[in-house]
Amino acid sequence: MKRPAGRWETTTGQVTGIALLFVSAGMLGSAVIESIGGDQGLAMTLAALVTLVPGAALWLSTRPGQIDRAAVFSAVAGTWLIVSVFGALPYLFAGTFNRSGIGFPVVLADALFESVSGFSCTGSTVFGSHNLIADQGPGILMYRQFTQWIGGMGIVVLVVTVLPALRASGLGLIGAEAPGEGGDRLAPRMAQTARRFWYLYAGLTGLIAVALIAVGMSLFDAVAHAFTTASTGGFSTRDASIGYWDSVAVEMVIMIGLILGAANFTLHSRSLVARRPVHHHDPEFRGYIWLLTGATLVVTILLVDDGMGFTRSLRSAAFNVVTLGTSGGFGNATGPGSDGDFVRWAAGPQLILLILLMTGGCTGSTSGGVKVMRLIIGISHARRTLRGIRHPRAVLPVRHGTGVMAEPMVERIAGFMVVYGMLVVSGTLVVAALGTDLVTAMGGVVGSLGNMGPALNRAGPTASFVDGFSTPARMVLAFLMLVGRLELFPMLLMLVAPYRTLHDRVRSR
Amino acid sequence: MSAALLMVGALAVCSGLIDLIEHGADSSTLLITGSGMGLLGALLFGRVAGPDKARPVDIIAATTLAMTLGILLVAGLYVMTGAAQRPDDALFEATTGITTTAMSVIDPTGLGYGLRFLRSGSQWLGGFAALLVGIVILPFFGFGREFADRSSSGGFRPLAPDEMSATRNILRLYIPGTGLIWGGYMLAGMSAFDGLLLAMSTVSTGGFTNGANEFADPSVQWVAIVGMLLAGSSMVTLWHLVVGRGGLHRQTGLAMYLGLHVTGVLLLVLLSTGIDLAAARRLLFVVAASVSTTGFPMGVPVGWPAGAPVLLLLLVSIGAMSGSAGGGLQIRQHRALMKLALREMARQLHPRAVLKVRLAGRVAGEDTLRQIVVLQFLFVAVIFSTAFLVAVFGLDLASAISAAVHATATAGPVRGLDGVMVDPTEWSRSVRLALLPAMVFGRLSIYPAVVAVAALLNLLRDKARVRRRYRAHRHGGSL
Repeated sequence: MKRPAGRWETTTGQVTGIALLFVSAGMLGSAVIESIGGDQGLAMTLAALVTLVPGAALWLSTRPGQIDRAAVFSAVAGTWLIVSVFGALPYLFAGTFNRSGIGFPVVLADALFESVSGFSCTGSTVFGSHNLIADQGPGILMYRQFTQWIGGMGIVVLVVTVLPALRASGLGLIGAEAPGEGGDRLAPRMAQTARRFWYLYAGLTGLIAVALIAVGMSLFDAVAHAFTTASTGGFSTRDASIGYWDSVAVEMVIMIGLILGAANFTLHSRSLVARRPVHHHDPEFRGYIWLLTGATLVVTILLVDDGMGFTRSLRSAAFNVVTLGTSGGFGNATGPGSDGDFVRWAAGPQLILLILLMTGGCTGSTSGGVKVMRLIIGISHARRTLRGIRHPRAVLPVRHGTGVMAEPMVERIAGFMVVYGMLVVSGTLVVAALGTDLVTAMGGVVGSLGNMGPALNRAGPTASFVDGFSTPARMVLAFLMLVGRLELFPMLLMLVAPYRTLHDRVRSR
Repeated sequence: MSAALLMVGALAVCSGLIDLIEHGADSSTLLITGSGMGLLGALLFGRVAGPDKARPVDIIAATTLAMTLGILLVAGLYVMTGAAQRPDDALFEATTGITTTAMSVIDPTGLGYGLRFLRSGSQWLGGFAALLVGIVILPFFGFGREFADRSSSGGFRPLAPDEMSATRNILRLYIPGTGLIWGGYMLAGMSAFDGLLLAMSTVSTGGFTNGANEFADPSVQWVAIVGMLLAGSSMVTLWHLVVGRGGLHRQTGLAMYLGLHVTGVLLLVLLSTGIDLAAARRLLFVVAASVSTTGFPMGVPVGWPAGAPVLLLLLVSIGAMSGSAGGGLQIRQHRALMKLALREMARQLHPRAVLKVRLAGRVAGEDTLRQIVVLQFLFVAVIFSTAFLVAVFGLDLASAISAAVHATATAGPVRGLDGVMVDPTEWSRSVRLALLPAMVFGRLSIYPAVVAVAALLNLLRDKARVRRRYRAHRHGGSL
């Protein structure tokens, strides 16, 4: 097809436009569901149209071009910001967060928070006893699940599947959005790679949905939860989350789905090509399984020691360790104070959960957090440095499995962890200064930056973030969710971009 | 080992003499035991010769051993004099003293003069040891060699041209510094003895007090604030001041250290309610006690905000200037980490650019930067593992994190979320014991302790290997 003349050459505009089209398609689908079973179909259709028009305008008036690294970061960060803002429209138009005693700014903030939490696959919610999920129509609920599904594999990755013209820029875009140290190529062309990732993702979602139906969920709930399990998002269509079903089988399916979602999708692809699982050959996946197993055992022991029976302890420990260790964020608490309500546990198991909130899943997965590979390399780097004190002249490489890591990669990972630590500390300080206690603030910040979902103390699995955080604090957390979802740098670089431009102009004068 | 024996022995003898003058009941125990320790130390010093050229790792490991031995010796003195009822209490008090942490479990008002001197003296020794680690041991044998003040510039003498001169110069500052603060306390109306004890705890960033209302007088508060500011300052900065080298305004570390105080107070004033001038002074005291990691107790205004405990925890973990007796991760390390973070952001845009990190006017070596990153990693690891242990032993999550940060930063008593100081005697014995390794690790700036533990593990592994081979040989196998 011949490209029409007179289009602006801006990759950011093109990517954002197509992303908005995808989101509006999701809104339209949800509007259809809402029209069948709810009363906000018109509002959702209106939201879809309001999103569709600028999306189409951007798509038709722009064309992708070759872009430098700075533009890649601003394209990715800009796309996520704009999509998150438009994603709040269905909640606003449907009046989802309207309640007595609050003004429009708070409603807007809540809608934005829920939208960002959805697209970034965090799973923190402002629904709660003041505003029950049970009172919402099926379209709104499905849209909420859809935001996590589309955010799970990545909006930009989705865009790249339909933008073969991006060529080398596509790799940069995917690398800037992908969890971990850049994206692996599954095919010679980036568009093919992106498509293959999405096929795998859709396949996994389908499998989880079928398994959930098999263990007794309704079609609607199964599809909705498959969306948020494959994406390790954690939104649920029920106020008690997975605790609503109180079923070991449902919890098992969710746990397996979360572990697969938090594993590197390249491994899934290789397994499909080899027709046998190859996951166990990967040191990161092995480390990840060891981490989850070890944490489950320790938490179980501590819960048993605290007086909970062994079976109940194992079930609660396994589910919550997996759901937080994979950045899923589902809850299996049947109510406040029940077995799965981990904020009522002793401090020891809670601290393990806090550490899991930071670690996250594997690179190249849908999960958030620091990622197990970075942790393994960080530990290996620390060991190497300590050995270097004993043997100052020894040449000590950093190993990952049987391979030796390149020094620039090790430095990059060390730099990432430094920035991550600083964000946790400064974020905790800011959120605490906005009126939150230490544990809730720390849990909220770590959970948001790692896209985990529930936090600790007043923002636990059975609580709403409205109860735990003030409106400004929730906005800070929403920003951190986006920062965490994009692996820190795109968002941070977008913040310093105006300063850089100003600085360059002053220097050139 | 001999150094530890000599120093603790001398401290015990001095304490015994003070007790004797005041006709205390512990003088004979302190004098006899102290003399015995001193003699043993002198004997070891004379008889045992070190290797001609000691490896850096051995010196670093020996530092840890010396501190551990010092703790055990002071704990022994507490047990023998009956100051502590149980050995674990004695061990906790000795550790909290030598590591300048000041989470005391002994009521000092019930102690004689000698034991009170021993208690504060242990902090003074611990502060000196921390200075040796920060200025001599680590830069000369570990990392950060480029930051040691070694070369003379403009005809001014450096602080640390070599190991011995550095030690002498530290004492030249440390002893008069103690005297200066002592004089300040006396001018503020304290008795000579109480002033001396408080001066020893101030200059070492120790934080032991000898009564409930020692800081009730505003003038004592001001002396303590100045003392804590000085104690948390880098010895290099103070040395430059003493030799008249000038250029203090160009020292970014000092600016950051003072900036932390100003920012901390401003934030607390902004967050709190009902602040008058007296309350602002108390807040400055609290901030100085946190940044310098001295940990002197001070009541806080009634309108204590939710964000204040987090702010104080942050200040405590940042800690004092590098090259001071203060704890925490220290300001130079934080500056390095901030610059690394900025470099990492710049690298995202220019992956092939060669970007150097400059600290204190010098280009920091990549090895040093790497070690600082690992130090941060280990610092966080020590905090989390300690918090986990104390949480398992019964503390709630907020108290566990707070206690672990304070212990690792050697910052003294923990302040609860409501702003009230927590009494460590309320904690179980297992909680207190779990905090001890963190205090030692924190006081030794993590690395020496880790190296010592690694050396110990290697030794055990080698011995096990030799034993295994010996067994195999006896059963007819080949070596």
